[in-house]
Amino acid sequence: MMPDSGPDPARIAAIRDAIIAEHPYSRNDGQRSGNLLPVIRQQLTIARRSNPVINDYLRKLGIEVDAMESLEDVPPIPVQMFKLFDLRTCPEDAVVKILQSSGTTGGVPSRIPLDKSTTLSQIRALKSILADYMGKSRRIFLVIDHEGINSPAHAFSARTAGVRGLSIYARKTFYLLKEVDGELTLNMPAIREIIEKYSGEDVYAFGFTYIIWTVFCEQIRKENLRFSFRDFILFHGGGWKKMQKLAVSKETFSASVASVFGAAPRSILDFYGMAEQTGIIFVDCPEGNKHVPGFSQVIIRDPFTLEPCGIGEPGFIEVMSILADSYYDQAVLTEDIGVLVGVDDCPCGRKGRYFRFISRVEKAEARGCGDTFRE
Amino acid sequence: MFTCHLADGRFGEQSLPDLDSITGSLTGNREALASVPIDAIIRILDALGKKVLRNAGINTLPGVSFIALWLRRENLEKLCEINYADRRYIDGFRRNDLNLFMMAEPRGIVCQWIAGNMPTLGFFSLVQAILSKNASLVKMPEENIPLLLAILRDLETITIDHGGTTYHGGTVLGSIAVVSFEGKNPGDSEKFSLAADCRVIYGGSEAVRAISRLPCRDHCETIIFGPKFSFAVFDREYIESAALDRGLDLLAKDVAVFNQMACSSPHVLFLERSSIPLETLVGRLQRSFETLPPALKNQPIPSSLSSRIINIRALYRLSEGKNCTAPQDLGWTILTDENISLEDPVQGKCIFVKEVDSVDQVIPLITHRIQALSIGIPDPGKRERFAREATYRGVDRVVTPGAIHDFTLPWDGIMTLNRLVRWVILKPT
Repeated sequence: MMPDSGPDPARIAAIRDAIIAEHPYSRNDGQRSGNLLPVIRQQLTIARRSNPVINDYLRKLGIEVDAMESLEDVPPIPVQMFKLFDLRTCPEDAVVKILQSSGTTGGVPSRIPLDKSTTLSQIRALKSILADYMGKSRRIFLVIDHEGINSPAHAFSARTAGVRGLSIYARKTFYLLKEVDGELTLNMPAIREIIEKYSGEDVYAFGFTYIIWTVFCEQIRKENLRFSFRDFILFHGGGWKKMQKLAVSKETFSASVASVFGAAPRSILDFYGMAEQTGIIFVDCPEGNKHVPGFSQVIIRDPFTLEPCGIGEPGFIEVMSILADSYYDQAVLTEDIGVLVGVDDCPCGRKGRYFRFISRVEKAEARGCGDTFRE
Repeated sequence: MFTCHLADGRFGEQSLPDLDSITGSLTGNREALASVPIDAIIRILDALGKKVLRNAGINTLPGVSFIALWLRRENLEKLCEINYADRRYIDGFRRNDLNLFMMAEPRGIVCQWIAGNMPTLGFFSLVQAILSKNASLVKMPEENIPLLLAILRDLETITIDHGGTTYHGGTVLGSIAVVSFEGKNPGDSEKFSLAADCRVIYGGSEAVRAISRLPCRDHCETIIFGPKFSFAVFDREYIESAALDRGLDLLAKDVAVFNQMACSSPHVLFLERSSIPLETLVGRLQRSFETLPPALKNQPIPSSLSSRIINIRALYRLSEGKNCTAPQDLGWTILTDENISLEDPVQGKCIFVKEVDSVDQVIPLITHRIQALSIGIPDPGKRERFAREATYRGVDRVVTPGAIHDFTLPWDGIMTLNRLVRWVILKPT
């Protein structure tokens, strides 16, 4: 364990780099706390010193950073707070970029300040995760969205984060959709070029689940188009609430999309992630489980007691990370419900915790006559 | 499509395309109810209260023991007296001071839209229709129907003797129909509304507005129990008195009962500045929450409410000049800040505590949205002055800690039984 004599940013970075450099799913869950907690302690000590808002938060919770004995003791910040507070933990002049994510609900964007070291850690972490699922060689990258989503003029969203993040293994990028008068439609010139020039190649793709289903698949079926690649992997995420309303199961989605790309359904990989924790995505393995990489941890918390849930007990998904020096991403409590499926023993061979996403929390309004005081 | 859960004295689910058969049986059965003297009806309800108290299947559920207390004969008689001046008006013509014969005739079929926030709300609504000898057609959220039916089942076996005649609980039961249907279905909602001689609507702003716009018959009366907010105010004298700890215990209970889902649930506590520091007072309120019975402290909550509580706690802990006192779990939450304002309800036992220099600072915050004000003001003169100011601005009920949910009439400023009848006259020859 690292001595708690005082935070040393260089040393934190070195330890973190070493953790990121490891195979992301090689360590048992039992080793995670010992690995991550010393880094998080140091990061929170710095956070406390550099941000009075965070200091207030920890003080009011009675948290002594050095006294935290396990990852479960690290106080999570609810994800909504990124919309309301500046949770920066680095000097202002160190910030190289502020991600503004509108997310999927509400109009106020989350503000996520990134410094150079955080950005680099996030890129390296994401590369490490993706490499485990598709190897390290660069491929043709298909974005099942329109090009504007990656434009600096466009608001940064989960879709933007996905495109930018996943493009790190891109040899050449194609956008399979285009926006015409606010409507998404097939980008036929790009699709023709891919079919003509890149059939038989190794390809990977990214898209937003709901858009893939309602726009891409629907139109590509009408056009009776099919792709044929040597190896194909699709990473997709988000929009399951809408998909549930359409009564489309994950299995139906995977089978249908796989047939379009001439691939096996196991090549269609759902992932869970968020702009507030860029750099980490929890990707489905062939067993349908989402795995937690070594620089991260996931705790499922009971929706009433907030205690960690056991295997099979649904609760709020809390995501932890050591990637950020520039903001409080050490423990973020989401508004998503998930369930821990197991620990270290997934048949796919990946170690650590594995879980499944169940649903987003419904934004139910208060019902009945007990209501607002506003007239 | 309607799902009927009770009609014509028979329990059991039945799908119906319309309400014709139900309104037909209600029209017939309400005549039988109208022929029962009000005192006999009261005695049947009194007997029901006693049975409910002995009913092990439901008597531990929140609010059920209060039903039994509320159904006591003396209480029901008083409610009738307050509403009718003389309850014999509901049994027949009586000569009044203007030398007219006057009578309170039931309106007919009272269609009731029951909100889902309080499991026992439907029952209180029903009893008021019964005490005005109306037939009831009740739309309930599915989750609250089992409790209502469990209470009503006890009516089946009640018989009482009154004036040498035997009266049956079944007669009362026959005047009640309970249905559920998709409220967003305009066709079914219109059918339900058009079946009414009187509509009673409980709900939030959106629901009340939508239902009010439904077509209804020209003679139909509409009684609205709309969106309301409640809070508490303690003055310096009360805070510094020996009554404070008991008052805080009762306030915590007021917050806990119905898990702050009721219109009468307090969401803010204003404390007049006193010799006792706010932190100490928060500590005492904390103790009151901690000593709540587990059934009140650990009420199940939906994850959407968990999320609201988690967010407001974090918001207060991240904000300067605000604080949050709470256990690790979401059992209760005390949120303190210096803004002299009301706050949007979080529910789930989240109370905002604010210190004011004078209780008079609270008065400008009061609007017609405020239903109940729980006050700890011992001085009778100050208490009445404060109540006059508060009620003038919109408060309907000024009560003491522990009594905020006591269902009595008037409620929301309405004498419900009085509104549920038509006052008719007969000119003497």
